[in-house]
Amino acid sequence: MIPVKYNLRSLRARWVASLMTIIGTALVVWASVLAFGLAAGLEYTLNVSGEPLDMILLRKGATAETGSTVDEATARRVAALSGLATDEAGNTLVSPELVVIVNTARRGDGGKANVIIRGVTPVARKLRSEFKLVEGRDIKPGVREALTSRSIAARFQGAGLGEEIDLLGQKFKIVGLFEAGGGSAESEVWTDVEVLSQTSKREGGYSSVQLRTTGMESMTALADLLENDEQFALKAVSERKYFAEQSSAGIAIKIVGRVISVFLTIGAMFAVANTMYGAVASRAREIGTLRALGFARRTIVGCFLLESILLCLAGGLLGCLGTLPFNGLSTGTANWDTFSEITFSFRFGPDVLLQGALLAMLMGIVGGMAPAIRAVRIPIVNALREI
Amino acid sequence: MKFLPYVLRNVLRNKLRTLFTCMSIAVSLFLLALLYAYIEVQDELGAKSVNYHRIGVVHANGLTFTLPISHVDKVRTMPGVKAAIPLAWFGGVYKDDKLPFAQFATDPQFVMQVFDELTLPDAELRAWQGDRAGCVVGARLAEKKGWKIGDRIPIKGAIYPVDLNLTLIGVYDGPDSSDREMLWFHWTYMDELLKQSRNAAAGAAGTVWVKGESAEVLPEVMRRIDERFASSDAPTRSMTEQAFQQMFTEMVGNVQAFIRNTALAVVFSLVCVAANAMAMSLRERTREVAVLRAIGFSRQLVMSLVLSEAVAIAFLGGALGVIGAKILFGIESVTSTLLPIMPVFYIPWSTTIFLLGVSAVIGLVSGIVPAWRAARLSVVDGLRKVV
Repeated sequence: MIPVKYNLRSLRARWVASLMTIIGTALVVWASVLAFGLAAGLEYTLNVSGEPLDMILLRKGATAETGSTVDEATARRVAALSGLATDEAGNTLVSPELVVIVNTARRGDGGKANVIIRGVTPVARKLRSEFKLVEGRDIKPGVREALTSRSIAARFQGAGLGEEIDLLGQKFKIVGLFEAGGGSAESEVWTDVEVLSQTSKREGGYSSVQLRTTGMESMTALADLLENDEQFALKAVSERKYFAEQSSAGIAIKIVGRVISVFLTIGAMFAVANTMYGAVASRAREIGTLRALGFARRTIVGCFLLESILLCLAGGLLGCLGTLPFNGLSTGTANWDTFSEITFSFRFGPDVLLQGALLAMLMGIVGGMAPAIRAVRIPIVNALREI
Repeated sequence: MKFLPYVLRNVLRNKLRTLFTCMSIAVSLFLLALLYAYIEVQDELGAKSVNYHRIGVVHANGLTFTLPISHVDKVRTMPGVKAAIPLAWFGGVYKDDKLPFAQFATDPQFVMQVFDELTLPDAELRAWQGDRAGCVVGARLAEKKGWKIGDRIPIKGAIYPVDLNLTLIGVYDGPDSSDREMLWFHWTYMDELLKQSRNAAAGAAGTVWVKGESAEVLPEVMRRIDERFASSDAPTRSMTEQAFQQMFTEMVGNVQAFIRNTALAVVFSLVCVAANAMAMSLRERTREVAVLRAIGFSRQLVMSLVLSEAVAIAFLGGALGVIGAKILFGIESVTSTLLPIMPVFYIPWSTTIFLLGVSAVIGLVSGIVPAWRAARLSVVDGLRKVV
């Protein structure tokens, strides 16, 4: 076994070439990990949005709340069913909600995006267990007041605390900011359901009913009843499933990220091969000496491969570190399933960083393989004679 | 110019190294061609749509609100208007399609006048006008799904609570830059179904599309439309087709910034890669450069020879990647298999030329340090040096 120190010293001896290769691979890993982090962030937001025992009721055939209506009478009948969870005060956890999408101007670039305005009753907060008011106060019923998240407040004009946002021609004052554990509620503006239904002229109906069941069994039983009983005939899906299906935007980002990383990784492999061929060529005599000393071909191949991997891993590490300033940075894109903006943050979890490191390894192995084999194929006598 | 053979000889001296550098640049620029084409195609489509002088009229509150059908007739009689149609996004689901296609309810009498760059055989158009449950699809969509005239196309409503049972009557075609992945069906067919189910969505035209008599009248027509409906139940916002497309681009968020940042990282990475290769090959030729200087080549000439070599290598790689992408995505079937989510995609000439320029710049920048070092080389030291 040739000591790793030999590789490290060799890399240092050719430091300009090593540094260039490290920077080259670092940038490639950086760009790939950034794209992975974007996809992971969006996925996380949709995954944490659903609670395991919660269900969402929609009109049969609807795929999202935005294309759904549930009338008031049906919503009342749902609230009277058994198998529903209650809070400490004994209130049933059933929340009829009205969703309206409003085209709102972003801050800064002047572009517009659709924002979900959700009309809620007090119980809606209990159905998002991570819901927490972090600034200001809660809305009063019957008044044109609204709550929103920090990310929406930062992204949209008039959505900041104390500002007034224009919803369907009416001014709503933002009186508080909330957090919801990074879930999709953080992409919404909340107001009183009655006020919203008057403003949007959608009186007498809701978009969806959200509820919490007492357990898995009652969830299945309720879903069965709500879907098949004539007096309901609703679509009842678990929240987890509902959000998991809103994946079109996520899939697009994921595909783009994969395509970017595949191409760049292949490009980097060629570059690494170049560097390693250079290393092998300039060390022909060293290799001959190693062979003459009795090191097996296999050992020498392993040695050069290791050097190539070390080189790329250094680049990979640098690339991963370079993405950290972006961690938690909030951004947004269109969720085509709801036809509205979804805000989320870059997330560079261990899995994303590991993917970056694996890419770097792959560059090292594939790029280093041919040069390493080349190294041991030179006959010893020729290698020793080379200058 | 007389040094061109010398430069080319040097390019081909270490064939493997040149090949690897070229491939590294080629693969990366192939990717950049795809990313930039995405931005560019949208701009070009927007610019092209100006020639069709069309106006999209949407509800003042955004696309999720619909305009009543009565708006269409009122608009049709306005001066400067050639034709007007309702265009309602049905957003239904065909079988278990993961990638849904666009379905629109419209008016077969006028739709071909509004979208007059598209072609539909007269016989098919007349047959469609006479068949209430008939539909017409774009050539690319028909090919993708393997549909033939006479096929049944059932579509489940997701936004509207009705299911369609359509029969394929005709296939429209159009220029490369047109969307040939839409499905059109009778607006009246959808409306009858909605009326039968007593749905509140009955009587809604969705959006209204207007063909203006000329480009000059458009601003006046838009102003007139918005004024006419300002105090009605459904106030409107009229925009040119270009602005309408812009609205969707804005919703997706800042993709351009993401692409530009990725591209910047890639270009910088390639500069490192190419500079490294160039430095390696010059290190092997130190003595040769010293000879050139000794026989009277000026510093500037040596420098420009090295720079030309670097540019030649990078340009070769760039041309391979960019022109390869241009040719590959010029083939219709390739584009629709590899990029099924993009209804219109091609690599514009502007992107091709821009990226060829970028690859030359990569070569130039990567050559600066090696060229400078070659020019500065002390002749005596260089001649003495054994590599």
